[in-house]
Amino acid sequence: MRQLLTILSLIAAPAVPTAAQDFSDGSEASEWGLFGEQKARFEAAVVDPLCLLAGACDQECAPGRQLALERQADGVLVMPLKNRETVFSGAVADLAPYCGETVEVDGLLIENPEIGATNVYQVQRIRRLSEEEWTETNRFTEVWARENPSVAGEGPWFRRDPRVTAEIEEEGWLGLGPEAEDAFVRDWLGVE
Amino acid sequence: MTRCGDTKRIGAALAAMLSAGFAAGASAQDGERITVEGEIIDTWCYYSGVMGGPDAVVGSAHHTCALWCSAGGIPVGLLTPEGEVYMVLKLPGTDQLAGGDTALNLASHTVTAEGLAYERDGLRYILVETVVSDQDITNLNHEDYGVVPGFAIPDDAVEQ
Repeated sequence: MRQLLTILSLIAAPAVPTAAQDFSDGSEASEWGLFGEQKARFEAAVVDPLCLLAGACDQECAPGRQLALERQADGVLVMPLKNRETVFSGAVADLAPYCGETVEVDGLLIENPEIGATNVYQVQRIRRLSEEEWTETNRFTEVWARENPSVAGEGPWFRRDPRVTAEIEEEGWLGLGPEAEDAFVRDWLGVE
Repeated sequence: MTRCGDTKRIGAALAAMLSAGFAAGASAQDGERITVEGEIIDTWCYYSGVMGGPDAVVGSAHHTCALWCSAGGIPVGLLTPEGEVYMVLKLPGTDQLAGGDTALNLASHTVTAEGLAYERDGLRYILVETVVSDQDITNLNHEDYGVVPGFAIPDDAVEQ
């Protein structure tokens, strides 16, 4: 009977609203003061959402694809949007080395029903289940610097990125074209 | 048959159902073919509110930041006028949506896209097969919000 109850509880589990679950136990994530942030530490498989959702598995976790986390406790697919760096960087560089593996992650879940934010995540640290040491998720800038040696130098990556600077040069800061936005930009900066 | 036997039989049947259910959940789904219009946004700033409210972190006000986030590999989304967000996993000719060129070129643009949509655990996803139309940037919200974040345009952006 105990086994039966266990099975029944497992069947019932997916019906529990995921937003109500609390994964904060043991979390050492840094607070960012984000609306709807919840500390969350959990075990998950690092998956390729294109493969998982659409069956496009011929090049699972191919370079450049977004990656996701399938949580072990409830099977929920969590979308990591951000790593721990404060430089406009995603989490793929940090997750890619673990593709297909089960890991433990620690970070912030964002739950804000008003705008549909659910099961989106900022991953701050990661480790394999077999590992003691955590790895902080700050690989983006290291990978970017390796891939962009021609713009090595001072300043944050996003001010030096060749593709971004080319886009701004052509389309402007607001994306409306340099001429069209010139008056606004001068006014914004207080330049005559 | 004993009560214990009944329990075992029911347990086995439930286990089989459970196994089948998990297998179905884990396998690929059939996408729903849709045509949808919306703005290509930066999902982190939109969902987290880190730079401001949802109306401020879209459009022309947030364009430079949207470029940074797209180039930085943050997932891009397609925000419909009804406020639904589709996580974009594929664009025509490329599934390199973590920092790829195509998403960068479409940052802040309003597009009409056709493709396969999926929904799982409260989030929508889309694999865009065709960008039916690209209307460029149509949300000129810099008139209301200025530049978000304020430091996006550096002080030396124009010659004095």
